[in-house]
Amino acid sequence: MAALLRPARWLLRAAAAPYLPLSLRLLAGGPGRPHAALCLRAARARPVAGGLLSQARLHSIAAEKKNYLQEEPTSSHRRNASQFDWALMRLDNSVRRTGRIPKTLLQKVFDNTCHSGSAGGNQALLLLRSCGSLLPELKLSERTEFAHKIWDELQKLGTVYDVSHYNALLKVYLQNDHKFSPTDFLAKMEKGNIQPNRVTYQRLIAAYCNMGDIEGASTILGFMKTKDLPVTEAVFSALVTGHARSGDMENAENILTVMKEAGIEPGPDTYLALLNAYAEKGDIDHVKQTLEKVEKSDLYLMDRDLLQIILSFSKAGYPQYVPEILEKITYERRYIPDTMNLILLLVTEKLEDTALQILLACPISRESSQNDFGSFFLRHCVTMNTPAEKLKDYCKKLKEAQLHTSPLQFTLQCALVAQKLDLAKVLMKALKEEGFPIRTHYFWPLLVGHQKEKNVQGIVEVLKGMHEIGVTPDQETYVNYVFPCFDSIKSVRAVLQENGCPHDDNVFSQAELRSKAVNGNLDYILSFLESNTLPFSFSSLRGSLILGFRRSMNINLWSKITELLYKDGRYCQEPPGPTEAVGYFLYNLIDSMSDSEVQAKEEHLRQYFHQLKEMNVKIPENIYRGIRNLLDSYHVPELIKDVNILVEREKTDSRKPSSSDLESKLEKLKAENQPIGDILKQLILMLCSEENMQKALELKAKYESDMVVGGYAALINLCCRHDNAEDALNLKREFDRLDSSAVLDTGKYVRLVKVLGKHGKLQDAINILKEMKEKDVLVKDATVLSFFHILNGAALRGETETVKQLHEAIVTLGLAKPSTTLSSPLVTLYLEKDDLPAALESTIDCYEKYKILPRIHDVLCKLIEKGETELIQKAMDFVSQEQGEMTMLYDLFFAFLQTGNYKEAKKIIEVETLEKLVEMTQKLFECDRDQLYYSLLKLYKVNDDWQKADAVWNKMQEENIIPREKTLRLLAEILRNNNQEVPFDVPELWYEEEKDCPTSLPSPVEVNLQQGLLNACHRRRNKDAFNIFLTAKKQNIVFDNETYARLINLLLMKDNSTQAMQVKDFAETHIKGFTLNDAANSLLIITQVRRDYLKDALTTLKTALDLDQIPSRLAVTRLIQACALKGDTESIHDIQKLVNGLEDSIGLSRMVFINNIALAQIKNNNIDVAIESIENMLTSENQTVDPQYFGLAYLFRKVIEGQLEPALEKISIMAERLANQFAVYKPVTDLFLQLVDSGKVDDARALLQRCGAIAEQMPILLVFCIRNSQRPGKAPVMKSLLELIPELIDKEEAYTCLMKSYVFDNDVTSAKALYESLTAKNVKLNDLFLKRYAVLLKNAGESVPFTEPPESFEFYAKQLKESKETHL
Amino acid sequence: MLKMAASAVRGAMVLRTDISRPVVFVRKIPGTVASSELREHFARFGHVRKCTVPFDEETGFHKGMGWIHFSSEELHHALQWENHVIDGVKLHVQPQKPKALQEDQTSDEERDF
Repeated sequence: MAALLRPARWLLRAAAAPYLPLSLRLLAGGPGRPHAALCLRAARARPVAGGLLSQARLHSIAAEKKNYLQEEPTSSHRRNASQFDWALMRLDNSVRRTGRIPKTLLQKVFDNTCHSGSAGGNQALLLLRSCGSLLPELKLSERTEFAHKIWDELQKLGTVYDVSHYNALLKVYLQNDHKFSPTDFLAKMEKGNIQPNRVTYQRLIAAYCNMGDIEGASTILGFMKTKDLPVTEAVFSALVTGHARSGDMENAENILTVMKEAGIEPGPDTYLALLNAYAEKGDIDHVKQTLEKVEKSDLYLMDRDLLQIILSFSKAGYPQYVPEILEKITYERRYIPDTMNLILLLVTEKLEDTALQILLACPISRESSQNDFGSFFLRHCVTMNTPAEKLKDYCKKLKEAQLHTSPLQFTLQCALVAQKLDLAKVLMKALKEEGFPIRTHYFWPLLVGHQKEKNVQGIVEVLKGMHEIGVTPDQETYVNYVFPCFDSIKSVRAVLQENGCPHDDNVFSQAELRSKAVNGNLDYILSFLESNTLPFSFSSLRGSLILGFRRSMNINLWSKITELLYKDGRYCQEPPGPTEAVGYFLYNLIDSMSDSEVQAKEEHLRQYFHQLKEMNVKIPENIYRGIRNLLDSYHVPELIKDVNILVEREKTDSRKPSSSDLESKLEKLKAENQPIGDILKQLILMLCSEENMQKALELKAKYESDMVVGGYAALINLCCRHDNAEDALNLKREFDRLDSSAVLDTGKYVRLVKVLGKHGKLQDAINILKEMKEKDVLVKDATVLSFFHILNGAALRGETETVKQLHEAIVTLGLAKPSTTLSSPLVTLYLEKDDLPAALESTIDCYEKYKILPRIHDVLCKLIEKGETELIQKAMDFVSQEQGEMTMLYDLFFAFLQTGNYKEAKKIIEVETLEKLVEMTQKLFECDRDQLYYSLLKLYKVNDDWQKADAVWNKMQEENIIPREKTLRLLAEILRNNNQEVPFDVPELWYEEEKDCPTSLPSPVEVNLQQGLLNACHRRRNKDAFNIFLTAKKQNIVFDNETYARLINLLLMKDNSTQAMQVKDFAETHIKGFTLNDAANSLLIITQVRRDYLKDALTTLKTALDLDQIPSRLAVTRLIQACALKGDTESIHDIQKLVNGLEDSIGLSRMVFINNIALAQIKNNNIDVAIESIENMLTSENQTVDPQYFGLAYLFRKVIEGQLEPALEKISIMAERLANQFAVYKPVTDLFLQLVDSGKVDDARALLQRCGAIAEQMPILLVFCIRNSQRPGKAPVMKSLLELIPELIDKEEAYTCLMKSYVFDNDVTSAKALYESLTAKNVKLNDLFLKRYAVLLKNAGESVPFTEPPESFEFYAKQLKESKETHL
Repeated sequence: MLKMAASAVRGAMVLRTDISRPVVFVRKIPGTVASSELREHFARFGHVRKCTVPFDEETGFHKGMGWIHFSSEELHHALQWENHVIDGVKLHVQPQKPKALQEDQTSDEERDF
């Protein structure tokens, strides 16, 4: 299979940059160590264009939020992990979209980190690394300040810094041109006990070189030499800069020769250093020469490199050379973010003219007027206080260049956001000159700021500005933005006059009116409206008036104002007239209120409506209907009639009839030979909403000739919902016959297609699709998704023809585009059948037809899994031919990763290839570098190659990659295994985190085993499940928390506690913090009790409670009962203390403890103690349990069952004493019933004779009857009870229960006797009773002496229940 | 909903339309435009009962959304119009979903022609 990769490998080799070990003149020394071969090229000293890491992990947001709420101290590590994910996602998304991070975002992430109270090492790294060139909108010094702030704050929070953090800080210094002392920096590291590494030295050299300090750089080089560290291209590039900045261009040039002599070919980085050096000197000739030289070589400078040269020219004061470099830029799409960042940086550096030059050179499509380009530039200019006149000029140029359609408007918007009044004024004047209207609301954002601070002077200035521009403030301006700043409207008027702010008196007084209205000052409103001389439209006052009405409950004023507005010529006389205006006002008034408000003000509103009626105010009928619907939805239908009286023309009924009303009406009309179409449709719709398909279809059949389109549409939908393809289709045909042009809703068409397809009516389904096309039915995104689900469902059912034909029809008709998703069922079809050749064929077919490759990844994975060499070859040939070798390699590589067998993968993609792939992809956009390095480390782990692993750690720092925790852990593992020191703080890893992380893909073996285990659990096959567990254990495969929990639950349910414990132990040792959940612990307790491991069970209970779990009632009760039977009073007391306060949550009655403690005492022969304490509880002043509920049945039963005669005797005496002396009858009745229940009828009878009151305890007796009637085999008990207490038969509950019991036990004789004695007494028997009896008789082959009630048991049970409820 | 709007011309339909429905929801209103400009624009399609473009009291800007309340018949004229452009910016205009009905599932059932 390796042959497959040969061409690709060649490709990689050709492109790989050479590296040769150090042997230098600069520093005479030996060769570098062999492992250094990995340090191919130093990373270029710039931000990575791609994402910091490229996995958008949305789930982590949810996790983050959750953690915020909980703030558990124990989960701080987990919180850190999810917080990191969240922070990473936010920052990464920003970088990926725009190539930069806005300051506010970084600040937000930082604040969030601080708020969480701690930050992990990688999170600190993420924040620090964001403080360099990713912040082009910040001044260089501000960026470094930010980095220092982060450094200090996080250190305070306890973040442990390692060498990677120091290196990151160095990088930030370099990117920000921050001047610092490298020796101080080293001293600082030393103080922190951190060993510098190769990257540290490299960056320190760069720092010296940036200052032109060759001597300093040499010192560091010396260090590196003594430590035998390899010298990379990055060092040489730095030296080029160093010599140049020290003014020695000759030596700068010489470095290239030195490099070559040392065996290192200068790469693009070295040339870029040289180019920048010339640019800083303004030496355009040398720049051009060097560029030519590079062009002639096989090296390649990217746009980003050229942009760097432009920056150097501009910063050094040679903007005149910028155009020459701009010419060379190819403007590849992926460098647009870089270009934008350069523009922003130049603006930040006050080089905005150059910035504009670059902006104008951007080859953005100028045709589509939709996308304006350059907004980011304008916004940043506003932020950076670029002079207004300059900005005006930029706007003009952008518009001329057709880059931006409305630059002035946009810039104005920015100025308003930034509340820059002066700039805004200049821009508005410019707009006005262009003939663009200046509107009042432009000034609102400016006013808002002053209003918040109650800054009167500020407000006055803005108002003056408005006047200057020629804009008069309108009512809104006064009401919303000016008045709130003042104590009274009077003072507004005064201040405005004082400051010479002209204002329109009418506008002002109407604004005043609105302001008063909003405050509920209705008196003012009325007098104003009465005395006002200037007519105005009611609608402008509507909103404020509604608020005013709601604030004042003076209904007389409501009415008077409404009447005035309605009748007075000044207000509502223009069309559509007062009826409409006032009607609409009423509608809005009610609409603005909440339902509870309307309910509360029902009386007021009624009064209001009636007063309006008196005043002869009318409203249009359609508005009435709207109000009616509102009132209906507010559940105040009582008000409807009161509004109805205002309707202009009165008619229409408002109540809806029931379906039976409709049906009889329909029949009546039919009998009278009247048209029934409308009422038939109403009835059909009603039946449809009741889901009564049978009835609806019958009705349709009966009145076919009167059916209308609407009725059919509803019926079709109903049949589809009921999966009734036959009728749906027939109805559709009838629908078409009725009106061939009628159109159904999209959803109904889709449902039809689905049902027809499912029932094999393919041609019919296709016809529906055709009709959708012909009738131009609206196809929404949701519709396309429905199509996919229809196809996918069919694919999963293996219906090849359905999938193919429907897909074909949908695509050919143009109902949906053949997207990857929509077409994936075509492949799924075969993947599900494991028919890999056909699956591959289908994917390729899709590519040929639609240029998409649905499910190629899944196909490849399956092929690899099955080892289908030939097919893989075929697939790879196809992919590399169509999409290039790199894509092919990628597809294959990730398929190997996915299939997870790294050893296999290694055989195919050799380590070398993988290393090169990782290196090659360094600058690839959208490439998860961390994941690639992780894969690489996995290989090194297999090879146990710690040197290479260590080199990866260096490479990652060089590339500015933030490693995920799992990567760090893996790295630490490799180093530790080889007895190497781990140079960073190793994060503890939660198992769940791996599960959460979509990039850590479990191997198929793992997935299969886990799936198998879960399936076995689902089918309750404990042996299979446990065996899978053992297999996985042998292979050291660890599943997730949930899987183990399920397995343990199953084993416990199957009473396999030993195995359950084995699983639990394994899970606990392999998953940090693994604990059983509530259910599992409860099951465990029950199992332990059953096996008589009471001590263990008690421990489990304690563990569960310590975890704040709520164990099940059953588990706790079982444990208590078991302790009682052992006579272990102490343990019961312990449990009582443990669950103290949780009794209600568990559902534990106090009686459980009372019964069982007594039982335990009795078992210990402490009968007297037991009895005494019970008696005390029942007779003491402060009873904890109401005697009515003091149920001792359990204790009695246990005593009777255990034949504890002495105890029984004493209990009996106690119960009788309680009854006779204290009138507490519950114990004696319970005892009596337990005796009956245990068949000790004679004892029971004796007790009853001694204590006749038992027979009067009807509630207790009836509860006993009801409970017993729910269990089979209780007929004899019930019979005995009835014999002992014959008056029970008079109770309906009792005889119902008796019958139920007899029926349960098939006791025909007793049932007959019961029936006869009841009929003899002339008792009116309920239908449920009769139904039961009848069925019993019928089953016994006997005749039923009455008409058997026709309906079901459920029906009568429900009926009985309802009749009881109504009697309550 | 579109279909409903189209069939709204039919007399029977108009009578049945309740007045809370003829509302157009407008998105992507440019910052240069406030309710009076919007009202002016939509007035050509019929009587505008109410036009709201809520402004954020914290910022003094609106959020680019607004609602036009028509008298029932005019709604579909506005919806059928393809290019709602103010100040050179194209607005997104769509019918406001009625409060009670979430989906358009019953619209074709209302027809009885």
